[in-house]
Amino acid sequence: MSEVGARRTWFPKLPSLSRFTFVDVVLWGLRIGVVIVVVGGTVGTLIKGRYGAAQWFDFLVFGLTIGSVYALVALGYTMVYGVLRLINFAHGDIMMTGAFAGYFLASHFAQTGLLDHSPVLAMLGILTVAVATSTIIALLTERLAYRPFRQVRGLAPLICAIGVSFFLEQTFRGSFGSGIRAYPDPRWQKETIAIFGFGVPLVEVLVVIAALISMAILYLIVQRTRMGMAMRAVSEDADAAALMGIDVNKVVVFTFGLGGAMAGIAGVCYAFVFKQVYFFMGFTPGIKAFGAAVLGGIGSVPGAVLGGLFLGIVESIGPALFLDGIGIPAPYQLRDLIAFTLLIMVLIFRPYGIMGERMAKKRA
Amino acid sequence: MSHAPPRPAARSRLQERSALRRSLRIGLIFGAVAVYITVVGLLPSLDARWIVVGVVSLGDAALIAIGLGAGAAIAGRRWSPDFWPLALPSFFAGSVAGGLLALLALAMRVFDLRPIFITLSPALLKVLTFGLGAPVGAVVLILGGALLATLGGALTLAPTGIRTPVLVGLASIVVFGVFQELIQIMMQYGKFIGALRDAIFTWEGLSPQGAAAIFVLACGGALVWTRVLRGPVRDRFAGLTAVQQNRARAARIAVFVLLLVLFPVVAGSYIGQVMLLVGLYILMGMGLNLEVGLAGLLDLGFVAFFAVGAYATALLTADSPHALASYTALPSLSYWAAMPIAVIASVIVGVLFGIPVLGVRGDYLAVATMGLGEIVRVIVQSDMAAPLLGGAQGILQIPKPRIGGFELADPVDLFYLTLAASAVAAYFAWRLENSRLGRAWMAVRDDEDVAQALGINLVKVKLLAYGLGAAFAGLAGSIFAVMLTSIYPSSFQLLISINVLALIIVGGMGSLPGVMVGAVALVGLPELLREFGEFRFLFYGAALIIMMRIKPEGLWPSATRRRELRAAAGGGAPDDPEEAAAFAAEPLSAAQRPAQ
Amino acid sequence: MEHSNCLPISTYVALAAVALAAVPTASAAETKGPVTDDIGVIVISKGAPIQLGAYWVMSGADSALGIDEKRGVEIAIKDHGDTLAGHPIKLNVEDDLCNAEGGQTAATKLAANPNTTIVLGPACSSAATAGAPILWKAGITDIATATTAPALTAADRKPGYDGYMRTVYSDIDQGRSDAKYVHDVLKAQKIVTIHDGSAYAQQLATVMGDNFKKLGGTVLSQEAVAPTDVDMHPVLTRIATEKPDVIYAPIFVAAGAQLLRQAKDIPGLEKVPLIGSSGQMAPDLVEAAREAVVGYRITYPDVSPDAMGAGYPKFVDAYKAAYGEAPISGYHANAYDAAELAFKAIEKVVKTDASGASYIGRKALRDAVLTIKFEGVSGPIGCDQYGQCAQFKPAVYEFTNGDPKTFKIGENPKKVWP
Repeated sequence: MSEVGARRTWFPKLPSLSRFTFVDVVLWGLRIGVVIVVVGGTVGTLIKGRYGAAQWFDFLVFGLTIGSVYALVALGYTMVYGVLRLINFAHGDIMMTGAFAGYFLASHFAQTGLLDHSPVLAMLGILTVAVATSTIIALLTERLAYRPFRQVRGLAPLICAIGVSFFLEQTFRGSFGSGIRAYPDPRWQKETIAIFGFGVPLVEVLVVIAALISMAILYLIVQRTRMGMAMRAVSEDADAAALMGIDVNKVVVFTFGLGGAMAGIAGVCYAFVFKQVYFFMGFTPGIKAFGAAVLGGIGSVPGAVLGGLFLGIVESIGPALFLDGIGIPAPYQLRDLIAFTLLIMVLIFRPYGIMGERMAKKRA
Repeated sequence: MSHAPPRPAARSRLQERSALRRSLRIGLIFGAVAVYITVVGLLPSLDARWIVVGVVSLGDAALIAIGLGAGAAIAGRRWSPDFWPLALPSFFAGSVAGGLLALLALAMRVFDLRPIFITLSPALLKVLTFGLGAPVGAVVLILGGALLATLGGALTLAPTGIRTPVLVGLASIVVFGVFQELIQIMMQYGKFIGALRDAIFTWEGLSPQGAAAIFVLACGGALVWTRVLRGPVRDRFAGLTAVQQNRARAARIAVFVLLLVLFPVVAGSYIGQVMLLVGLYILMGMGLNLEVGLAGLLDLGFVAFFAVGAYATALLTADSPHALASYTALPSLSYWAAMPIAVIASVIVGVLFGIPVLGVRGDYLAVATMGLGEIVRVIVQSDMAAPLLGGAQGILQIPKPRIGGFELADPVDLFYLTLAASAVAAYFAWRLENSRLGRAWMAVRDDEDVAQALGINLVKVKLLAYGLGAAFAGLAGSIFAVMLTSIYPSSFQLLISINVLALIIVGGMGSLPGVMVGAVALVGLPELLREFGEFRFLFYGAALIIMMRIKPEGLWPSATRRRELRAAAGGGAPDDPEEAAAFAAEPLSAAQRPAQ
Repeated sequence: MEHSNCLPISTYVALAAVALAAVPTASAAETKGPVTDDIGVIVISKGAPIQLGAYWVMSGADSALGIDEKRGVEIAIKDHGDTLAGHPIKLNVEDDLCNAEGGQTAATKLAANPNTTIVLGPACSSAATAGAPILWKAGITDIATATTAPALTAADRKPGYDGYMRTVYSDIDQGRSDAKYVHDVLKAQKIVTIHDGSAYAQQLATVMGDNFKKLGGTVLSQEAVAPTDVDMHPVLTRIATEKPDVIYAPIFVAAGAQLLRQAKDIPGLEKVPLIGSSGQMAPDLVEAAREAVVGYRITYPDVSPDAMGAGYPKFVDAYKAAYGEAPISGYHANAYDAAELAFKAIEKVVKTDASGASYIGRKALRDAVLTIKFEGVSGPIGCDQYGQCAQFKPAVYEFTNGDPKTFKIGENPKKVWP
C-alpha cells in the first residue's frame, strides 16, 4: 500500500499503473506505432524533398477526385444505415450498374459525335440513364431482398446483402462479359483549368463539384422537406415514427431510391475519370466508401462527404508521405493498407466519426 | 338475424379474378427466371452438358423444370383439392412463362443485341427455339410451357405414392447424367461393375437405354420403399423403448460415418480431394462457429488466421530459401512439430486481432475485422514483407507429412488426417459449447452489457473466442499448406472468409452438423460441378438470398437456434403441427442440448 | 453422459489406419499386352477414344487465355483428322482457375481417370507448380502451354516435375532479351520497373531488372501496384521524380491500361516510353486504353510469318474460320504445338495388338516426348532434359490503332523489332 502511495507522489500526473490492463497496453502501442509511422514518414519524406509543390498539389487534386467518388457512394451508405441500420454491402455494385448503363449510351454518343458537339446534353443523357438504372436496381433489391428483414436484427440482413452483392456482380458479368469496357475520352474533358497556378483537368473539377452539389441537394432534402424530416424521424426511432403516422415503408423506399441515385452519379463520375468499367469495379470502392461514411460519422450527410474527401486525400498522399519516408519498397502496393488502417483506427478510437453520433459502441 | 347464404356467383367471380392475377404473377416470375438464365449465359452453359446423350441436355432440363415449377407453384397453393379447376390456371401460368421466353426469342430475331448482351448470339437463338427459327419456336415455347405447367400441377396433386417414385426416378437420371464422369471413374474396378458401366454409359455420358434402366430401378425402388417397407419399419421403430431408439439412431449415424470414411477409398483420389477441401472448410467453419455462432462476434477477417497457419507451417518446414531453416539456426521441422506451432501462432494472432476491436460491435465489427483481414492479405503479398514471406512468389516446396516411412501424399491420406483433426476439433468445440465458457459466450452474444453486469469478464471471454476460433483456422491452414505443397498469397482473399461465414449460416449457425451440411452444399457441390465454375458465385449469391428469406435458421439448425429465431420472428411453437410434435418428441442430442 | 453422437476417438484412428493401409501406392513395372513399362501401361480397347486431358484457366478474368489455348488444341485435333493411331480423340478439359488449389484439383481429377494418356496445359505457373507433380505421380506426362516460371524447368527442379515439359519459353529468356532491348535498342540507362503483385509480373520484372543491371544500367526502383488499382497518378508522379529513361511494366491488361492512360497526364513522363510484355497481347488492352494505346510497345515472342513456322498463317485462318474471331490471347500457337508434340509422341510409342486394342507405356511416352524435334507453328520444338521445349525468339510489337476491332497480331500491333 505504501509503495502505491510512494509511486503516486513521484508521478502525481499518471493514473495508477494497476489500472492498466494488457489491452490498454496493446492499444496504446497501436496508437504510438501509427503516430511513429505517420510522423517519421512525413519527416523523412520532407527531408528527402523528392516532391515539389506541383506534385503535392497533384496528389491533393487526385485525392479530392477519388474522394468525391467515395463521398457520393458514402452518402448512400450513410442514409441507408441511418434509416435501416443495415450496411448495404451491395451499394458499391449498384454504383457499378449505373456506370455500366451509362457506358452504352456514352459510347453511342461518342460514336455519333454528340459527346463532343453538345457536351451538356450528352452528359445529362448519360447521367439520366445511369441514375435511372441504379435507382431501379436499388429499389428492386430493397423490395426483394431487404424488406423481410426490416424487423430482424442479427446476421441475416448482412448475409443477404453479401448475397445481393455477388448476385449483381455475376449478373452483370454474365450478361455483359468479363472484359473491360472503356468510357469515351472527349477532348473537352481533358482541358485544364488553372487553379492556384497549377493545371487541373476539367473532368476532375467537375467530379468534385458534382459531389458538393449532390451533398447540398441531399442536405436540403433531409433538413428542409417533409420526407427528409420523416427520414430523420425513422432513423431516430422507427417505432415512434410509425406511431406518429409516418409510413415507414415509404420512407425506406425513398431512402433507397435516393441512395441509388447517388450511386448512379458516382458511377458516371468514376467512369469518366478512370474510364474502365467492368463487373467487379464496385466492390473495393464500396468498402472504402463505407469506411469513409464511418469516418465522417454514420448518419450525417456532411460527415459522409468530409469522410470521403479525407479518405481520398489520405489514400493519395499517404504512400508518398508516410511510407516513402520510412523507406518501404514499393509503397503504392500498400495503399489499401493505409485506407483499412484508417478505418480500423476510426472504429477503435473514434467510432462516432468526425461528425456523427456514437453508433458503433451502442447496441448496433 | 339470419345469415344470408353467400352468393356463389359473386364469390366465384372474385375468386376467378384473383386466381387469374395470381397465375399471371406466377407465370411472370417463372418466365423472368427463364429469361434471366438465358441472358446471363447460364442456359448455353447448361446446354453444353448432356444428361441423356442425344436426348436431353441440362439446359433442356432446366427449362422443363421451370415449366413444371410454374405448375407446381400454382397447384401448391391448393386452392382446390381436385386437379381440374387448377388445370386452366396452370396452363395459363405456363403459357405466360413460355411467352416471356418467346418474346426474348423474337427480340433476338429482330434486333441484334449482341453488342450489349454478349450471350444473345444466333447460336443461342437456335437452342432456344429448338432449331425451328423464331416465330415457330415462339409458339412451341408457349405451348410447351403451358403443357409442362399443367403436367407440373398434375404431378404436385398426384398422391404421394405416385409422385415420390416419379420424382426419385427423374432425380436419379439427372444425378447419373450430370455426374457421369465421376461415377464412371468410380466404376472402374472389377469385370462385373465394368460391364454394368458399359451397359449404362457411353463415352460421352448416360445413354438412353441406361437412363431408362436407371429410371425403372429408382422408381421401382422408391415404390417398394413407400408402399411396402416404410410402414413396417416405422412401426417397429416406434415400438422400441427410448433407450433402444437412441441406440438405433446412434447405430444409423455410425454406419453413415463409416460409409463416409471409407467412401474416398472406393471413389478415388478426386473424390478424396473434394472431401479434403470440404473437411478443411468444416474445420474453419467450426472455428468461425465459435466466434459468430456462440460468441456473436462477426469476424470477416477469418482468412488472416488461415493464412497465419499456412505461412507458419511453410516457414518452418519448407525446403526453400524463404524457410526459417535457411537463414537462422532453427532446424527444418517435421510437419508434426510444425503444426502445433502453427496453431499457437494463429492463436496469438487471433488474440492480437481481437484486442483492438474489443469495443466494436455489430456490423461495424464485421467491417473492422474485414479491414484487418485485408491488411494481412496486403502485407503477405507485398514487396515489403517479401524477404520474409516470399512476396508474390509465395513459398514453395513444402514437404508432405510423413508417418514413419510413409508419406501422406495422396489426397485421400490427407483427407484422413483432416478427418482426424476435425474429429478432435469437433470434440473440443462440442465440449466448449457446453462449458462455462460457452455459456459465457452465449451470454455475451445475447447482450454484452447485461453479461458484463453479471460479472463476465468481457475482455477475457472475447479474446478467448478470437483465439480459439483462430486455432481451428490455423490448423486448417497448416493442412492446406501441405496439401498444395506451395502457398501463394493470392490464396488468402476475403472471399474465403465470406465462404466460411456463408456456409455456417446456410448450414445453421451454432450447430456442428449444420457446418458439415453447409460445407458440403457450398464447397463440395461447386467443386463437383466445376464446369459451371463461372456461375459459382451467382449460385452463391442466389443461395444466400434465398436461404435467408426462406430458412434463416439454416439447413440443419441447432434446436436452440430454431427456437430463438421463431421467438424473434414473433411466434411461439413452430406452426406446422407435425413439426411441433416431432420437435417435442425427438430427444435432443448432446450436441443440441440447450445450454442450461 | 450416456450416448454421444460422436464415436470414440479410437474408432477414428483405427479406421484411418485401416484406410491408409488400403490406399494403393505406386505400382512397379507393369506388362500389358505387348508393352512393358516401368511406370504403367494404358490400355485402349478397340474403338474406344484416346483420352487427352487438359487443364487451363477457363473462367474468371483470365479466361481468354485458357479458351484461346483450348481452341488451339482443338484445331490441332481437327488437323490431325480427329483420330490418333486408329482411335478417336477425346479431350477432357478441366478448369484450374489460374491458382494452385484449382491446379491441384484439376490435376487430381485428370489423374483419377486411368484412361488419361497425356495432359496438356496449364496456362498459369501456380497451377502447374501444384498440378504437375500430381500428374507425374500417376505417371501422366504434362506438356504445358503457357506457364513461363523459370523454376519449373530449372536444373534443380524436384523429381516430381520429371513428367513436366512445356512448349513455351521461360521467363529467364524473356527477361534477358527484354533487358537487352531496353538497354541496347532504346539506349536506356535508368529504368523503373512496375509489377502488379502477381507471381508472373514480379518474376519477370525481377529477372529483367537483374539482367539490366548486368548490362550496366541502373534500376532506380521497383514499384508495385495492385491489379485492381485504378488511380495510378501517385505512383506515376513518384516515378516522374526519379526521371527514368524507360518504365518497364510487364503487368496485365486492367492496370496496364490505366498506366497508359494516366502516364500522359503526368508532367515529366510525356517522353518516357512505357514497355509492357506478353500479358497484354489481347484485344482487351485496346478496348481498355483506346487512343492511349497508340505507340505503346510490348515485348512478345516473335510470331511473324518469317520467324514462325510456315504453318502459322494457315493456323490463324483455321482459327478464324472455326471460331468467328481472331485469336483472343497470345499462346494459341504454343497450345497447337503441344498437341502436335503429344500426337507425335503417342504415335511413336503406341503398339496395337491383333484385336485392335492399343497399348501405351507411360514412361516410354515421356521419354519419347523428350526426344522428338519438329518445326511447330510457334517455332522449332525440341526439349532439353529439363523439359524446356521451346526457345524465346524475342520481338517487340507496337500498337497502331485505338479501335479494338482492328486488333490483329502482326498489324495492330505490328512488329517493330528486330
